[in-house]
Amino acid sequence: MGLYSLILENKWALEILYALAISLICAVIVFKIDRFYRLSTHQGIRYFRNAFFFYGIAFIARYVLGFFSDISNNYLYAIQIIFEYFLVMAGFFLFYSLIWKKIELPKEHYKSSLFNMRIAIFHLMAIVIAVFDSLWHTYDFMFFSQIIIFIYAAMIAYSNYRRNGKQRMFLKFYFIAMALILVAWLLNLSAALFFQWHPFILINIGIINVAFFILFLYGVLKVTR
Amino acid sequence: MATKKRERLEVIRDMLTIVKDNRKIKPTRLLYGSNLSPQMFKEYIDELVNKKLVKLEVDEKEKKFFSLTKKGHDFLQEYKLIENFVENFGL
Repeated sequence: MGLYSLILENKWALEILYALAISLICAVIVFKIDRFYRLSTHQGIRYFRNAFFFYGIAFIARYVLGFFSDISNNYLYAIQIIFEYFLVMAGFFLFYSLIWKKIELPKEHYKSSLFNMRIAIFHLMAIVIAVFDSLWHTYDFMFFSQIIIFIYAAMIAYSNYRRNGKQRMFLKFYFIAMALILVAWLLNLSAALFFQWHPFILINIGIINVAFFILFLYGVLKVTR
Repeated sequence: MATKKRERLEVIRDMLTIVKDNRKIKPTRLLYGSNLSPQMFKEYIDELVNKKLVKLEVDEKEKKFFSLTKKGHDFLQEYKLIENFVENFGL
């Protein structure tokens, strides 16, 4: 328990470090992938890039802007809404990068991948989720939405791994990453509903989140080398 | 199983390779070489020109040619990596 005590004693500093590390990982992923997207204009790459762009912003909003949350309650609510909106959108983009081929028509091409008719549905859902959570002082809407999409994402990732796992090394890690993030969301929900945000669970969620982002960083660096 | 978008990437690679191998190529020769219907060819070639992967040139006899741009060269060099990335991440 020594390590956990040390983490709890240095909670604020570690939270900032944690957010900056994840934001930095996201920035590297976005930067690396953006080059591929600009060359190929492949929609899947585009949505994958957007997911990590939104994850990066979400973590900066939550932990860096949230560091000054003593200013006022309104500020705190605003930070929560911003954080949730970007985090939920990131999850939607990551999920959509796996399914877009089954949804978009071959000739369908939008100038903007951030604001178009299809993505507008995600924006609307993310805003509703963030506002509802803020109104009811909960995170449950976000937790349930992310658990549902990552159950599907893990199933798709597993199916991809079963189909092409022998030829494509990272598909196994992709599935592991989806399973990890699903576990993290389930732990989040459990911590909120049953364990009164027990610090021990929150630390483990943080560790799982870091593992999730490091796995993707590893995959992107390995494949784009 | 090949996906629709992967095929699209392959078509683009094939067309760019033909242009590269010929340095300058007439539209009709590129159409035959790319094994596409005229309608599909038009869609693809418009896309390649719009994305500045190839450029359309007109010589002194008013004949049209396609040639590869620097971006087109970069695409061909990076194609394997892009394909590898798309397949490894299930995109």
